[in-house]
Amino acid sequence: MTLSEVVAISGEAGNFRVTVKEHPRYVDVNKCIACGDCTAACPKQVDSEYDAATGRRKAIYVKYAQAVPLKYQIDADSCIRLKKPGACGFCERVCTAGAIDFDDTVKQHQVEVGAVVLAPGFEAFDPSTAGVWGYGRYPNVITSLQFERYLSASGPTEGHLIRPSDGREITKVAFLQCVGSRDENKCGNGYCSSVCCMYAIKEAVMAKDHVPGLRTSIFMMDMRTHGKDFDRYYQRAKEESGVRFVRCRVHGVEPEGDSGDLRIHYINEQGRQVEEYFDLVVLSVGLQIPGHVKKLSEIAGVKLTSDNFAATSDFTPVSTSKEGIFTCGAFAGPKDIPQSVLEGSAAAAAVADCLAPARGELAREKAYPEEREVGGEDPRIGIFVCHCGSNIAGVVDVEAVADYAQSLPGVVHVERNLFSCAQDTQDQMVQTIRDKGLNRVVVAACTPRTHEPLFRETLKSAGLNEYLVEMANIRNQNSWVHADDKKMATAKAKDLVRMGAAKVARQISLQPISVPITQKGLVVGGGIAGMTAALNLADQGFEVHLVEKTSGLGGNARYLGHTWSGEAIGDRARRMVDKVAGNENINLHTGFEVTTAEGFVGNFRTTIATRDGLTKTIEHGVGVVAIGGKALRPREYGYDRIPSVVTALEFDRLFKLKEQHALGAKSVVFIQCVGSREEGRMYCSKVCCTHSVQSAIELKQEDPGRMVYILYRDMRTYGQREALFKKARELGIIFINYDLHGKPVVSENGKQVTVEVWDHVLHRPLQIDADMVVLATAIVANPDAEKLNRLYKLSVDGDGFFQEAHAKLRPVDFATDGMFVAGLAHYPKPVEESVAQALAASARAATLLSRSQVSLDAVKAEPNLEYCDGCALCIDVCPYHAITLVEGSAGGGAPAEKKYISVNKAQCKGCGLCQGTCPKRGVAVQGFTMEQISAQIEAALAV
Amino acid sequence: MSFEPKIIAFCCNWCSYAAADLAGTLRMQYPANVRIIRVMCSGMVHPEFVTDALDQGADGVMVLG
Amino acid sequence: MLDTRNAGSVMIVGGGITGMQAALDLADSGYYVYLVERSGAIGGAMAQLDKTFPTNDCSM
Repeated sequence: MTLSEVVAISGEAGNFRVTVKEHPRYVDVNKCIACGDCTAACPKQVDSEYDAATGRRKAIYVKYAQAVPLKYQIDADSCIRLKKPGACGFCERVCTAGAIDFDDTVKQHQVEVGAVVLAPGFEAFDPSTAGVWGYGRYPNVITSLQFERYLSASGPTEGHLIRPSDGREITKVAFLQCVGSRDENKCGNGYCSSVCCMYAIKEAVMAKDHVPGLRTSIFMMDMRTHGKDFDRYYQRAKEESGVRFVRCRVHGVEPEGDSGDLRIHYINEQGRQVEEYFDLVVLSVGLQIPGHVKKLSEIAGVKLTSDNFAATSDFTPVSTSKEGIFTCGAFAGPKDIPQSVLEGSAAAAAVADCLAPARGELAREKAYPEEREVGGEDPRIGIFVCHCGSNIAGVVDVEAVADYAQSLPGVVHVERNLFSCAQDTQDQMVQTIRDKGLNRVVVAACTPRTHEPLFRETLKSAGLNEYLVEMANIRNQNSWVHADDKKMATAKAKDLVRMGAAKVARQISLQPISVPITQKGLVVGGGIAGMTAALNLADQGFEVHLVEKTSGLGGNARYLGHTWSGEAIGDRARRMVDKVAGNENINLHTGFEVTTAEGFVGNFRTTIATRDGLTKTIEHGVGVVAIGGKALRPREYGYDRIPSVVTALEFDRLFKLKEQHALGAKSVVFIQCVGSREEGRMYCSKVCCTHSVQSAIELKQEDPGRMVYILYRDMRTYGQREALFKKARELGIIFINYDLHGKPVVSENGKQVTVEVWDHVLHRPLQIDADMVVLATAIVANPDAEKLNRLYKLSVDGDGFFQEAHAKLRPVDFATDGMFVAGLAHYPKPVEESVAQALAASARAATLLSRSQVSLDAVKAEPNLEYCDGCALCIDVCPYHAITLVEGSAGGGAPAEKKYISVNKAQCKGCGLCQGTCPKRGVAVQGFTMEQISAQIEAALAV
Repeated sequence: MSFEPKIIAFCCNWCSYAAADLAGTLRMQYPANVRIIRVMCSGMVHPEFVTDALDQGADGVMVLG
Repeated sequence: MLDTRNAGSVMIVGGGITGMQAALDLADSGYYVYLVERSGAIGGAMAQLDKTFPTNDCSM
């Protein structure tokens, strides 16, 4: 439901009634064929929201070229006809599909649902309100979102970086961080937006790629690149790409006469006043909750934090204050893409937990007629040539193409359609396939990427195997791109149809592969993440095996005090342990380790064993790996040698036990990044800044006379944690910045310890006498990761953490189907992110466990045993480990002793690397066989 | 008549084939000499296809992925 | 639009990446999903981005 907003929600969890207001689109989505003729004809231009006002769009438009649904819409605020009946109306006249409907009206829908997920997202801060950066006044001050559009090949300048004022290519650009973030004076947003540091680096690096020699400077207070692999990127930007980083907040931008250049005043790290000129200034704008979302939360009755984000608990990060209403994405705090994707899955898990008994009640499946066997028949090809209104027919001589198609071998029927995809044409096509006894179909129309599924459905409805259709792309790859050469376009269309017919004639019926699923889950690791995943799966009604290596559950949570928002971790973890123990769907195996594993998605078999050799074998359909991480044992700053130098976890324990030395300390120094963000461990441990700040606040509040210092490199109290950093400064905690090449030096000095560090404000070395030094040590990967990696064919990165399938879009999946990752095993993270990731892993696992079998696409590699001689070249190239070497008789008259390959269809993705590698035609991907592609080549070159 | 070369392009369904579609959506114009063969991954393209195409008279072969 | 009275369905408000992911996972797990989007197309903010870290993949 697009152009729709929620206007009322009543009821309760399990039974909500939601009123949705659907605004008119003025374009009938069932008729619109997205040809774009209407936009071409529309005389009215306005700023494009998609291009963040860097480009223009028409009053009738599609949001962006790849929009889903790819349907045009009329913007009532700018449409001439809608404002003045009788005027304009050009779009209606040119629309061959008759899709324009100026009488479209607002519709109200009542929907009854069991749960509601709020994922309304954020808006970028609008810097014009603050005035100080000159945004809106000086054309060469733009926002990061606008810069993103300039960088984009689909943007207003097709990726050419020019200054808006005079169109000159840029040579020197400044990025100003924290515009609309960490700033209560100018925007009222005290929190950190979490994503701007990283996107600014990315934009600077990309810009340097676009314009060789471009000079880029990022002005920042702290570089907050705390995400997975982010620090490495930061490092590369600095060292390889030559992006300059200046630690300074810039408070004003002034124009340099009318040259368009901009002057920035700042104080450099040597304490000097500097004036510098740039030809473009990019404001790294923060994220904030838009007004309409505040309204939505009122409608939903959901509580917000003082920063206007949805209030959640760290242990239920996707549940709002109202039962049955969930949140995900930036609504509950600023976050990046992977965290948002992961929370989407987590919200799905939370919903499923609450609605589990009703699962599957409303899901629908369609029935098709029985499939006709065509194996023994000669090809009887039907060719359907689409006009696509005038989109194809306006360029290509479709009549000539149809006439030509008639002459191709095997073709028994040719027809032309105004719109082949229209519902009535589809119905006719089904009838024609039956009446004429067609057994192969070529649709010469648009692209198979969008329309092949539709025509496959048509074949299924006609009782033909869905794979017996081939599309000839005579629109996107022909009429649209050769509009000024009609003759060549027509010739090409004929070639494409001939190629399609040649290929489809060699196509055989393919059956979707179905793989049975053992509807049980395995969770490895009994910390917060593992317990969360196990409990969620169990509460969804699935049987779960939870394997924990040590004798008890709880993992690292046993040593932690509070989450950043102050929730007691120990209590919650203990309650979780009780719940796990009492859950009848969970089989708990403490003291067991995974020793062997085999199988694939839906069908894993894992053996676990105790130290004394007791073994058990578990059959399971999915696996969640949540083996956690460990605290680094430091080897610097006199640790182990000087008794009053302790790690953060040790300090927590001493303080909790009211140990004399900790309690009586009058001067405490925290040293950050101990073992993190340096050679060999170039990653941020994400939790230590917040942890130290929290401890420091506690120390200071207990005894305001205490001197508390935090020596840091970048203070990474991201998101709403920034409030803690602010509070710490207000309490008088002293923050001293140091850099990697000027690490503090700790030496014993009688009963005390002296910490020496370079002070960037005073510009001289500073000596601090401390009673205690607390080291914020890195989180390191669990060494067991290597073993699980081998057993389940997963993948581990250079730091020893598990590697997800895709850094942005598949943050909890492994490349190996059916296996998922959660918690510290993936990367250091705080409690609420571990919980969210565990819920996400559970949701992803449930998409498999909720069915007794999965159907997979039939486009898979198939060995040809006649040719395969077992050379095994393909085994090494297969990225999915789907191919194995088998010895023995392949059956069917093959020699008794022979080596050959076997493809596991459940693991194969049909990429065909094996086919491209095989020197003997011993393996081919169905639907793209050597014969088919050869036939296409031959057909392409035949005329 | 001027020389009209015929070029065979193997395009990966997930990237270059999609890009060729997008070029259409954006109405970018280019000469009509290329014949695109869709593959599920450019890794699927056997070296034999390249030599076959050249043997049969293609003036150029592109493998895009 | 159907008026159904059942707990086997879920409404997701917002068609950005997070909403789409929630919708996909729920639909794949056997729930009927209503995805409500304010604008004319789903995709949200990510569709506006040029390329994304770390692979600099196109974000489409």
